[in-house]
Amino acid sequence: MTKLIKHQFSFPHPVETVWEYLTNSDLLAAWLMKNDFKPVIGHEFQFRTGPVASLNFDGIFYCKVLEIIPFKHLSYSWNCGPGDGEIALESVVNWDLERTENGTTLHLEHTGFAKKENLEMYNGLLLGWVEKLQKIANLLNA
Amino acid sequence: MAIPTLDVFQVIGDPSRRKMLMLLFAGSMTINNLADNFDMSRPAVSKHVKILETAGFISITDVGRERYCSLKKDGFDEMKAWISYFDKFWLSKLQKLEDLLNNKSLFDEPEK
Repeated sequence: MTKLIKHQFSFPHPVETVWEYLTNSDLLAAWLMKNDFKPVIGHEFQFRTGPVASLNFDGIFYCKVLEIIPFKHLSYSWNCGPGDGEIALESVVNWDLERTENGTTLHLEHTGFAKKENLEMYNGLLLGWVEKLQKIANLLNA
Repeated sequence: MAIPTLDVFQVIGDPSRRKMLMLLFAGSMTINNLADNFDMSRPAVSKHVKILETAGFISITDVGRERYCSLKKDGFDEMKAWISYFDKFWLSKLQKLEDLLNNKSLFDEPEK
């Protein structure tokens, strides 16, 4: 299983322009979600979208600005849950901007889902699932 | 005993429940066998087992007078569903950003 989500997009625009779209609340709302983001380390803010019933998600992302290096790097926590401010999933969103000959390459890394030991646990348990389930079935049928 | 409804991360966030899953990974066990591995009361063990069952991590099968616990896949699928959701989410959002920036170059920036 993937431990993180990675996407990379290139734009024929200078990093200053792309940075503006990542850090200006109104511009963010135009492509991402309604928000009260401010480019200030430690600022707590929310993104709001529609709820997703199948994930037991109420549609609010609780975020906090973690790092800002102007025109280069931006990261914030990205937590969400079923409602009433309860947090079920913790993660971090990282943006990195790379100045290129033709403009900007934007890198997104969405990582840190849950706690590290949970993921290791998950990966460990996922290995050999079919084999394991087969063994259990054999045991129960014995 | 009331069983709280926990999400998948809360369920495996508890060290005792993680240990139970690890033990069950080696093969199915009765609740009594499982309890032998823990320094806690039998009702406490039963409560953890119930939480794991409710969250879809294990299933309980009665064999004679014993209750056997076995690993089940559903609990893990939920975590995968979150990550898969975000993957698609970001792709569609970034495409939207691309569209916005493309339009911007048409209207706001002078032609090269």
